[in-house]
Amino acid sequence: MIRIEQVSKTFGQGKNSVVALAPLDQFIGEGEFIAIVGPSGCGKSTLLRIVAGLETATEGRITLGTSQLKRPVGFVFQDAVLLPWKTVAGNIRFPLDTSGVPRKVGDRKVEELVELVGLQGFENALPKQLSGGMKQRTAIARALADDPAILLMDEPFSAVDLMTREGLNDELLRIWQATGKTILLVTHSVEEAAYLGTKVMVMSARPGRLRKTYDVALPSPRTEETKTSADYLDLVGELKHMMRDADR
Amino acid sequence: MFLRSLLGLAGFVALWGAAVPVFNIPSYLLPGPIEVFDRICFLFERAELAGHIQVTVLEIFWGFLLGTFTGIVSAIVFARIPVLLRIFTPLILLLQTVPKIAIAPLLLLWLGLGLAPKVVLVAIVSYFPVMTAMLSGLRYIDKSFTDLAGVLRLTPWQRFWHVELPSALPGLFAGATVASTLAMTAAVIGELMGANKGMGFMLATGQENADTATVIGMVILLAFLGWAFFSMLEYLRKRMEDRFS
Repeated sequence: MIRIEQVSKTFGQGKNSVVALAPLDQFIGEGEFIAIVGPSGCGKSTLLRIVAGLETATEGRITLGTSQLKRPVGFVFQDAVLLPWKTVAGNIRFPLDTSGVPRKVGDRKVEELVELVGLQGFENALPKQLSGGMKQRTAIARALADDPAILLMDEPFSAVDLMTREGLNDELLRIWQATGKTILLVTHSVEEAAYLGTKVMVMSARPGRLRKTYDVALPSPRTEETKTSADYLDLVGELKHMMRDADR
Repeated sequence: MFLRSLLGLAGFVALWGAAVPVFNIPSYLLPGPIEVFDRICFLFERAELAGHIQVTVLEIFWGFLLGTFTGIVSAIVFARIPVLLRIFTPLILLLQTVPKIAIAPLLLLWLGLGLAPKVVLVAIVSYFPVMTAMLSGLRYIDKSFTDLAGVLRLTPWQRFWHVELPSALPGLFAGATVASTLAMTAAVIGELMGANKGMGFMLATGQENADTATVIGMVILLAFLGWAFFSMLEYLRKRMEDRFS
């Protein structure tokens, strides 16, 4: 559960201040998959970073309904951010090693995660030997390592090609269903947002603000057929319209 | 790979050996490889060459250790407290820009003819490349790594040990490799200027006696020493990389 109350962010002070995010309210329930979509400069990444604790909100409050106080969230960055000197297994277990999890418990957990993200056989590969998609799989496994209730993803698949991206989206849905995490995913692709989310938050720029939150009524699980269904196409059209409208 | 590089070396020695009789070069100008080899053996047996090598190795070892250690520690301190860097930069630069040969006589005057002045000279020349390499490694950490450390709520110590140090390691070893060649030079210079032991002392003696074979022998031994030094650093680098993987 994530409760966002009147959260805003202003960079700079006085005359030179820039509003990155106008006051925003949103409630996100346990196990929901929220897609945040919007143009550059709409504050979507800023919002995610505030939820992650990487930035502080200028005003407002965020409540995370989780008992993990040390690491309440897992975070998947846009460009994987794997430690280049560590292997796939070493990167995945990094959060465990730095929170004092016994080696044996960690080994078992890594094995599980490698299987979950489909990286069997690459445990000892170094990041430079991996494709973009495999790097992101590793990053997802790392974000899930110490089992946070909330997974935050900042345009996680924007650096991989379209084919890989569609495959990764399906994988992500499978992982979401298998783990029951609450996911917040930032994207600039309306199609991706509609396909993945149980809710879609549409944001707009100058100043960054939330325009509308859509409930997505598409049937679960989502498949290739979802993408050709009338409901999906209607939703994509409406989201696009809202984004265009918001730009004016 | 190793055999092929050995082949190049063997070719060079063969050419050298052939050139001396073919061009009729007098032995006081360029003795042949066999003569040099004999001289090295003779020096080992009669002139305690092993002891001289040991002295030079010790000077380089302690000086390099002292220089790199101070370099690494001060870089860590400077990265944490940038004000100190601004205060010390002029002093460090001055010490770096002055020719080391100019410092050597001063050190000999202060510290005598023994090990100490050479160790200090080696430490001074090793310090700068190591400190700057380590410092830039620590200061220009990828910003996304800082975010990762933030998300994982790493403690300052964890951040240093798991992220900053391994990030800085390749640069640190590049700096140490530069420092290693400077360290060899500094030790020999120190010995040339005033010593009663060491390979530089042997070089100076060889020069005084117009003993070309000894001089060439020392040069070859120093080259081997440098190669061993370099290999040791490479080994250390691989071990450190494994440690963090």
